[in-house]
Amino acid sequence: MDFQLTDDQQALVDAVQAILADNADLPQSERLTYCCHDPALQALLEDNGFLGAARSIGPIEAALVVHETAKSLFSIEAMVCGLVAPMTLPDVELAGPVALVTERDLSKAIRNLTVARTLLVDCGDDVVMLPVDQAEVVSVPTIYGYPFGRLIALPDLAGGQRFVGKGAALRQWWRVGIAAEIAGAARAAIDFTIDYVKQRQVFGRPVGSFQSVQHRLVQRHGTVRAGYYLAMRAAWSGSVLDADIAGAHAVQGIQALLFDLHQFNGGMGVTLEYSLHFWTYRIRALQAEAGGITGMALDIADKRWPEPSVPALASEGC
Amino acid sequence: MEFGWTDDQIEYRRKVKQALDELLPPDWDERYVPESYASDLQVEYSREFCAALAERGLLLPHWPARFGGSDCPDWYHFILGEEMKAAGEPRGSQYMNVNWIGPTLLKYGTSEQQARHVGGISAGNVIWCQGFSEPNAGTDLAALRTRAELAGDHYVVNGSKIWTSYARKADWCFLLVRTGPARKDVSILLVPMDSPGISVTSFPGLIKDGHLNEVFFTDVRVPVANRLGEEGQAWSIVTHALAYERVGVPRYHTGLDALDLAVERLKADGRWEADPIMRYRAGLLVAKFEAARMMTYLVVDQRVKREPPSTDANLSRVVSLEAVTEMSNFLADYLPDCLTGGDALLEDYYRINIPAGITGGTNEIQMDLVAQRGLGLPKA
Repeated sequence: MDFQLTDDQQALVDAVQAILADNADLPQSERLTYCCHDPALQALLEDNGFLGAARSIGPIEAALVVHETAKSLFSIEAMVCGLVAPMTLPDVELAGPVALVTERDLSKAIRNLTVARTLLVDCGDDVVMLPVDQAEVVSVPTIYGYPFGRLIALPDLAGGQRFVGKGAALRQWWRVGIAAEIAGAARAAIDFTIDYVKQRQVFGRPVGSFQSVQHRLVQRHGTVRAGYYLAMRAAWSGSVLDADIAGAHAVQGIQALLFDLHQFNGGMGVTLEYSLHFWTYRIRALQAEAGGITGMALDIADKRWPEPSVPALASEGC
Repeated sequence: MEFGWTDDQIEYRRKVKQALDELLPPDWDERYVPESYASDLQVEYSREFCAALAERGLLLPHWPARFGGSDCPDWYHFILGEEMKAAGEPRGSQYMNVNWIGPTLLKYGTSEQQARHVGGISAGNVIWCQGFSEPNAGTDLAALRTRAELAGDHYVVNGSKIWTSYARKADWCFLLVRTGPARKDVSILLVPMDSPGISVTSFPGLIKDGHLNEVFFTDVRVPVANRLGEEGQAWSIVTHALAYERVGVPRYHTGLDALDLAVERLKADGRWEADPIMRYRAGLLVAKFEAARMMTYLVVDQRVKREPPSTDANLSRVVSLEAVTEMSNFLADYLPDCLTGGDALLEDYYRINIPAGITGGTNEIQMDLVAQRGLGLPKA
């Protein structure tokens, strides 16, 4: 058991952070938007091999890249092209960015579809891969912090490449990705909020000096800190149950996290000139994916207690 | 970063489980566990059990070999703690000896004190109690009023302590006393519990028998040689001691065991499969306990690496408490009869955890420490 990054892992994280630091400023034209995706930054990360970490190094390194890129103000598609796809389909080269959707939601707005070159569809037992033709996609306006798009026409899944029996693996790594991405975005949002409440004065003292604020920030900090390690453990172990646990923990913390962070940032937190929403509404967008909290929690229960019920006594009726 | 156990650690856990199987009496679950680990029955039994554990070399894995340990990393100590707590803590009060009293004596004790006390702890046959809280000094320990007046080569102690678990059976008390007028003029005395002038009164409460005692000190004479550290050094010593204690109880492990037991009962009642909300809540509880496990392991890892103490130990308590509280709610919602004689083991779990947010420093103090020392938030 070792909770510290290895030297190589630390070097990877440092390198990602250095690139993100060099590309931290939003263009003036994007400052009042709900979401900012920079294709050049996405390409930079891909060209430098960071989005190929799952194959070249391993899943925990890929999860670290997801975690670090999620801290950026920019929406970076690292989760699927960098972690979920290579772990689910290790022998398949995909063109990134990659969008991911369950079959029943194909007609709805899909996260990252307007920037994606590939679409992975969770068809239950199987996974279908489709190329994305942006001419067949319309952008969908939303306050979520990702670019959303809708397919103009439902695709013919029979025309895609089908990977039989890969559905469970896809959902497993999807949950790991959600956990890592939420942990990264939440970390950035909490750090941002801590800076704010140290500075902002009310009633002659910093907001962050009030115990009611401090205690809730500590609870959110604890949830996110534990969530980071749960995500990394799930990436390290490759255990389906660990993935369910990491995903469920991350998603169950969202309600309190978003409420408190917006509360503590006050009116500024609901303006677009402020940065908070870039993180919080990315987190919100992930809340219902991969089965959502209900699916994840029930999966945990089914795996931990799989045996069917055996009533102790036969009921005799009244 | 990696999250696996080594082969040696797996083997050590196997040996601990084997020892539990071989050493515990056949009526352990039925007779002893429901009495709870602070009961006279269990505390007395711990002298027999811990001695046997010590004979097998399993009691003090992380202690130095010259003091009866095996020089193992702290991970072994936590494996031991997980298995013992899950079994109902047959070490009774002696878990404290292993967790913090012994290590504190090793760090701050004189050679005479170590010679006197460490042998008994490592042999597994001595009972200690912790004389910290007072009727008007709990969370605010610096307000304590029990005084020790220097009189030649002795201190004369007057005052009282409260919530003193195990006091009825204890051989020794790790006692905080005021030795000067300033708030931090507090010292530690190692006091034999059979000293003239000590009396113990128990009172009933929501938690199980043995935890709620008041200890009165009336002109109790304690040799100066029994003072641990210098006069006024108590805070730095206690800070060190509690850094061990805060993650000393693996609540994730006992919580998950209790949850397994609860689910077993719900299945036997035929209620499990028909109630997806119940299963949903149980699934989320697993995630909460696993989050607590990660935070505890993080602190153990920091300790193994001899990193300076951080507020992660405090944060670990906060995360654990959320899971424990939710577990108690789960039991109250779905198995309320566990408090009306329906399940002695679950009742024990529930009642032991009623003060989980208070013992070892309240949850509010833990959060204050994390906020101000960990997150750098300003004081009010």
